[in-house]
Amino acid sequence: MNATTIGFIAVGVVLFVDFALLLGLVALKTVHRRRAERHRLRRARYVATLSRHLASSTHIEPIDGGAADDDAFLDAVIDLRNVVTGHDVETLTGIVDSLGLARIQEARLRSRFPLGRRLRAAVSMAEIGDESTARVLIEYLSDPEPEIRIQCARGLGRMQHTAAIDAILERFGLEEPWVRARFADTLVGFGAKATWPLVAYIRVNLSHDENESVIEAIRVLGTIGDREVGPTLSGVLRVASDPEVQLATIEALGAVGGPLAIPPLKHTFRSADWRLRAKSAASLGHIGDPSINLVLSSGLVDSNWWVRRNSAAALASLPGGSGLLLDTLESEDPFARDAATEALADCGALAAAREREDAGVATADDRRLLDHVGAEETVLA
Amino acid sequence: MIYDILSWAGYATLVYFIVMQAYMIGLGLRSAAVMRRVHHLDRFGRVSEMLSSQTSPPVSIVIPAYNEATGIVDSVRSMSIVGYPRFEIVITNDGSSDETMKALIEAFHLERVRIPYRPDIPTAPVRGIYRGHGAVDITVIDKENGGRADALNAGINAARYPYALCTDADVILDANCLVGAMRRVVEDRQRTIAVGGNIRPLNGSRVELGHLIKAGVPKKLVPRMQVLEYLRTFLASRPAWSRMEALPLVSGAFGVWKRSAVIAVGGFSSGHMGEDMDLTMRLHRHHIDNDIPYRIVYEPSAVIWTEVPETLRVLKRQRIRWHRGLMTAVRDFMPMTFNPRYGKVGMVTWAAMFLFEYLAPIIEFVGWITIPTALLLGALNTTSLVLLLALAFGIGLLNSLLALLLDESYGYFNSRADTIRLIVMALIENFGMRQITVVWRIRALIGGKGTRAWGNMERKGVANLGAGT
Repeated sequence: MNATTIGFIAVGVVLFVDFALLLGLVALKTVHRRRAERHRLRRARYVATLSRHLASSTHIEPIDGGAADDDAFLDAVIDLRNVVTGHDVETLTGIVDSLGLARIQEARLRSRFPLGRRLRAAVSMAEIGDESTARVLIEYLSDPEPEIRIQCARGLGRMQHTAAIDAILERFGLEEPWVRARFADTLVGFGAKATWPLVAYIRVNLSHDENESVIEAIRVLGTIGDREVGPTLSGVLRVASDPEVQLATIEALGAVGGPLAIPPLKHTFRSADWRLRAKSAASLGHIGDPSINLVLSSGLVDSNWWVRRNSAAALASLPGGSGLLLDTLESEDPFARDAATEALADCGALAAAREREDAGVATADDRRLLDHVGAEETVLA
Repeated sequence: MIYDILSWAGYATLVYFIVMQAYMIGLGLRSAAVMRRVHHLDRFGRVSEMLSSQTSPPVSIVIPAYNEATGIVDSVRSMSIVGYPRFEIVITNDGSSDETMKALIEAFHLERVRIPYRPDIPTAPVRGIYRGHGAVDITVIDKENGGRADALNAGINAARYPYALCTDADVILDANCLVGAMRRVVEDRQRTIAVGGNIRPLNGSRVELGHLIKAGVPKKLVPRMQVLEYLRTFLASRPAWSRMEALPLVSGAFGVWKRSAVIAVGGFSSGHMGEDMDLTMRLHRHHIDNDIPYRIVYEPSAVIWTEVPETLRVLKRQRIRWHRGLMTAVRDFMPMTFNPRYGKVGMVTWAAMFLFEYLAPIIEFVGWITIPTALLLGALNTTSLVLLLALAFGIGLLNSLLALLLDESYGYFNSRADTIRLIVMALIENFGMRQITVVWRIRALIGGKGTRAWGNMERKGVANLGAGT
């Protein structure tokens, strides 16, 4: 075979592939368009039928047995499941059970279907599943596909199946960050029920070298905001040597709040590490106890810029803090002055000063603030 | 002797073109595998759960604005409803000579404030800082003119959050673009320093009040050619590069950057015509040289829409500017090219940028001269030449069709008219359009007057784009 023949064959093959792709593209677009239109129509019909069932207990319009296998029916059920309440939920659940919808989705989840179909089954079970499907969802928390694990956890969270908390926490340390973040969302959804399992998880895993899952667990505790975990978090702060764990704990203490959270935060506010000082300032501001005004005012002259900024912002949120910030306008440090001004603007003191000036009743402090804001001297680049 | 040289040069040019297209197809096939997964996750993965998550990292949207008075307010309004739990908008007015600043102050009731602006990256002097306290936090940095890179740097300096989405004032963000991009950050918060997004031409689409109502393919050939180009680039190349974690470019129109990483390398380079490529490559170099684990990735589901040039005159200016940016980057990062120390970036993606982007116009231009000359002198076999040209056309078409197939997972272009327009474009772009862009890139290589200025884009503006554009 000479080069010209090879050339002809190569051109022929490439042009044939081009033609096949072209046909494939046209066919795919046509099929997609028609399938989407048909899906929309069927979904609308199912929504109408299901709505009639919900509207009248005597209305017995049979639902086609094949509907349970139809994705459009599934979408219609999910649409309605997200809007109905009370007795209608029970009616809808009854229809779903009678058609064996959950069993079909379970079979799909267990099958060797491609990712798309299994993922759809997991999403459906998360949306329409009840206590009877919890066992399957817990089992599939260890599925090799991350998104399926996420959907299973979401479903368990939606049905508030508390037995799943331990199962989720068992996977917590093994998961990749994306899945762990979604598991964290699920745990937050459990609220106070997840508090003590999380505390136990932190206590057991804190000494390990890998602290990422502990950090996430601490963040979850902070977001749940149960004050009873204050002493636990203080204990973590005492023993933790990893700054990332300390930072997460400081943030969680700020979110949890309460008088028990203040002493450990005051301590970390004097830390040698500026990150801990800055985070402590923000957390003390969240707690909002005016007894710490003087502590925070020492942060306005801190050697680190972020500590000064966070201290100013924290003071702005505390009763009596504005006075200390106004005093800072006389500071020699231009960044401290600007941090104080920013905090006063954010808390509405600047807008109030402007209003009083417009009304002709501005105080000396108002003028001090407005003069500083209007000053042309620049500390900028 | 001269016959042999001409003959070989002619064949070499065509073989080079075929190898380049084959590389593109290889990338396309790899991208197809990545896109298939992305498609499933988009459909059923419920990425939007991040919207209600209280642990999603906050983001600063940084927008440089220069003489954008007509469209800036609509753009900012459309951006302010992007779906994400916590974000702020930082606009840098880069010394506009029109009423950009006035439009912003009036529309968002901005007040001049003094905030502790810290120039982590040096910029042109800042004249003032304004802030609005509406539903979304808006900060405006009013500074003296210093160019796009300088404006972005000022915005990054003022940003309060650890990640900055750097974009343009004339784009439309898809509602889920930020969630899509930040998902990649959450996947690996420690290592992810940049995420690129999927940029799509807005021309031909229906836009109302700064929002995309219906995507469409433009009737005019110039923007339609760019639709195909963007599809090839963003669907058939970047997913594969991203999979290798060797993305050589995070496009300036949409890039989420880790603020601390950008500051560590000194921010965007002022005056650089390809500041996005320059920053991406400097980040690669900095992290590899210092053995810092990192990754720069691309997220196809993070979609934004931008207006592309409608006339050859404006397109010419844009392409000359892009190629000059590439030339500067090739010069600056030459030690990384084919350097195994830089792993897949040095040996694969940046090497390919050098071979198939930087050298392409030179080699193609040489081909234009040698092939006809060789044919006239009888140094080239006509049959072989026709076969090679047919092969080159066939592979080029294959590459475009592959991109169109990948785009089907989005379903943006559904009408018959749009499908026909795109297929016709894929068939005809090799006859004239492609050659024009080569001439422009050669012009950029030669340099001289007219190739060093940015020039005006002459946009209609997001607010003024209508159906059938």
